[in-house]
Amino acid sequence: MIDDKEIAPDLLDSISTWQVNRRKLLKAGLLAGAMTQINLFTSCSTELKSNNDVLNAQQSLVLETTLNVLFPDDGNGPSADDINAFGYFIWAIQDDLNRKQEANTFIIDGLDWVNKKAIQLKQTNFYSIPANHRTAFIDEMVKTKYGKKWVSAMVTLLFEALLLDPLYGGNKEEKGWKWLNHTPGFPRPTEELRYEVLMKKQLKIKQ
Amino acid sequence: MSNAKYDICIVGSGAGAGPIIYELSKAGFKVLVLEKGPWLKTKDFTKDEMTATRRDAYTPHLKDERHVVEKKDSKGKWYAQSTEDTGSDLWNGSCVGGSSNFMSAYFHRLKPKDFRLKSEYGPIEGANIVDWPITYDELEPYYTKVEEIIGVSGKVLPHKNLEPRSTPDYPYPPLKTNIVADWFVEGGKKEGFNIVPAARGIISEPKDKRQPCYHSNYCGSFGCSSDAKASSRAALINIALDTGNCEIRPDSKVFKLENDSTGNISKVWYYDFNDMKQSVEADIFVVACQAIETARLLLMSKSDEFPNGIGNNNGQVGKNLIFAGGGAGSGSIRFDQLSTEDRAKFDAPLTFVNQTLLDFYEIDNAPELGERLKGGTIDFLIEHANPMPKAFRSKYKGNTLLYGSALKENLKDYFTEQKRVRYEIFCDWLPTDNCNVSLDETVKDKWNDPVGKVKLGYHEHDLIVGNYLAEQAEKVMKNVGAIDINRSINGNPPTNLIAGGCRFGNDPETTVLDKNCKAHEVNNLYVTDGSFMPTGGSVPHTFTIYANSFRVADKLIERLRMTSDLESIG
Ligand SMILES: Cc1cc2nc3c(=O)[nH]c(=O)nc-3n(C[C@H](O)[C@H](O)[C@H](O)COP(=O)(O)OP(=O)(O)OC[C@H]3O[C@@H](n4cnc5c(N)ncnc54)[C@H](O)[C@@H]3O)c2cc1C
Ligand code: SF4
Repeated sequence: MIDDKEIAPDLLDSISTWQVNRRKLLKAGLLAGAMTQINLFTSCSTELKSNNDVLNAQQSLVLETTLNVLFPDDGNGPSADDINAFGYFIWAIQDDLNRKQEANTFIIDGLDWVNKKAIQLKQTNFYSIPANHRTAFIDEMVKTKYGKKWVSAMVTLLFEALLLDPLYGGNKEEKGWKWLNHTPGFPRPTEELRYEVLMKKQLKIKQ
Repeated sequence: MSNAKYDICIVGSGAGAGPIIYELSKAGFKVLVLEKGPWLKTKDFTKDEMTATRRDAYTPHLKDERHVVEKKDSKGKWYAQSTEDTGSDLWNGSCVGGSSNFMSAYFHRLKPKDFRLKSEYGPIEGANIVDWPITYDELEPYYTKVEEIIGVSGKVLPHKNLEPRSTPDYPYPPLKTNIVADWFVEGGKKEGFNIVPAARGIISEPKDKRQPCYHSNYCGSFGCSSDAKASSRAALINIALDTGNCEIRPDSKVFKLENDSTGNISKVWYYDFNDMKQSVEADIFVVACQAIETARLLLMSKSDEFPNGIGNNNGQVGKNLIFAGGGAGSGSIRFDQLSTEDRAKFDAPLTFVNQTLLDFYEIDNAPELGERLKGGTIDFLIEHANPMPKAFRSKYKGNTLLYGSALKENLKDYFTEQKRVRYEIFCDWLPTDNCNVSLDETVKDKWNDPVGKVKLGYHEHDLIVGNYLAEQAEKVMKNVGAIDINRSINGNPPTNLIAGGCRFGNDPETTVLDKNCKAHEVNNLYVTDGSFMPTGGSVPHTFTIYANSFRVADKLIERLRMTSDLESIG
């Protein structure tokens, strides 16, 4: 287990909220009321990146950096930033209604893992590797079984951020759909018919 | 006189339940429906992939309710795993209307020979093939009833395996189709194949309070917002409710059928919304929980009279589970091969093809397979329009996981430079001793009841037939310009097309139900989902499930009327 404090950059050190072990929070289900927080996930990625209840500072930086390697700003369609992939990921990995909770934990563990590998192999945090060397580093990671599985899980969530309804925070301004000439089905979901509402009916949770 | 509050209590509300609910309510009987899932109304359905397919909000959470699946490994050794661990589940739709809300509604009738599979084609070693206790002619009026009441659209054109019909055509005209439908017909002609329109359980014109299909773009796996799709909820239950005779209790999970000392069911027990145990009495009970859960409920209902589960003193409950055999394949038609006009038409958000090839329903021109054997149905389709499955197809190139610019290029190409067309094969999933439902000894659901253990064995013959049909389908696929064609014919069952497990038949020793779908051993228990089917035919099952349920409804009305006549005389 990596000690957050030990490797968090100085700049971030002072922000005490980032010292919290967010996964404990997750497991305790304190974030169950996703509905009340949704504006946070959809509105301001920049703010989320610097302060969110789900990841610590270092994990946030690793996530942001990884997303831009996996879905770069390369002139071909939107980048991870353009579709608010970061905001979508934060929403998705705190969603404790998800049947596959272990998938969320796996994503977060992978953020720690990739950074640990960067420190081991490059003697620096993943996000401090020069931008033009990051893809090569991920290429190396994907050669391992764990790394391939993790990147694959990241790509799956990226697809969701790109292609699900903007209601969930990704696909900002329908940029994913526009880029791929995709016509959505109609009627589209609304705030009142978000998946959490339907899932709670299925799980018989009073709402 | 019976002091039961309800004449009839139905467990489940999907395709197998709907016709009973509809007919009995209309006939004036007091009907109670216990449905485990929530009551979602038409307005609750949207085209949200998150809800429908990514987070599966229409089916139970696997941590609460699961199955144990038994499969063979590559060395032929059986192993069992909880679906909670594998994540692949056997649920299809848990809400009022069941999976019928989410089906694609390809509606094919069985053919007369399907009712006498053993007599027509003889036995196959290792397969428990039997003839049905009823004939096609007995079911035909009920297929017609389904077409009218539930609403089936299509166009009857002659072909060599066309089943006899009492009406010349479907009551609803065919749905609008994508231009590729014409290409498939032409592609078939080049091979000498007669490709004909496929019927759908989707209305193309208004009916009662239902609106016609407006081609919403996402159909299979999604609820319908116009009620055009022939779900049991939209087409039957909503009308039953108007009679004032039908009560729906959603969030009511039945866990036991309790019998009295005569062996009749006296009450059913269920967990309500708050997980409290409740019971209810009725004169007659109908179970239609979808084949696996139906067998499980019967097996769980143990008593002194039925130590192995109700109706199971002959040990037949759960045996001979079947699926739809066959598989699927797909290939891409690249836009640069098309004229500008054709490209625009092909790329339009109109996803229906509705063309089917039934020339090989019986195979009599393939000596390498035998003189004459049962074949199946080939449907032609376009891949589903919802984007996530398309994205998954773009995730790898060969075995290489893509990311970065390579991934983006692949996505862009997949979505904007081509469209994938598909074929689906339906052939018999031969019933065997290796495909069945029992109770798991150790794994429990959230109420601490034993979960269903599902053994998923298949017969090699299914793959031989499936591959033969796939070869025919692929000839047509090539003729329409599809490249990069892949095929998936294997022993993995389509987990949305389930039947069998409570066979009907005349012999009380070897079957669970009599020919009217009443349990041989229990005088007031009927089963009307696909469980009754001893063989499944070479089509998806729902048209037949609906038709049979209408047939049983007539028997029930007859019986209840007779009882009330006797009571009034007495
Ligand atoms: C995506 C998809 C596409 C499909 N496409 C087609 C198609 O094109 N053509 C076709 O013929 N078929 C299709 N099907 C299959 C079709 O939906 C089923 O064959 C049909 O709905 C089966 O009817 P049923 O009554 O057995 O089960 P269901 O319709 O699933 O109904 C069973 C109901 O019982 C309830 N239940 C279960 N256990 C209990 C309990 N213990 N207590 C109370 N209630 C209980 C369930 O919640 C459910 O609502 C498709 C299915 C899916 C999911
Ligand atoms: S409107 Fe048509 S395409 Fe859409 S779900 Fe209903 S039947 Fe399917």
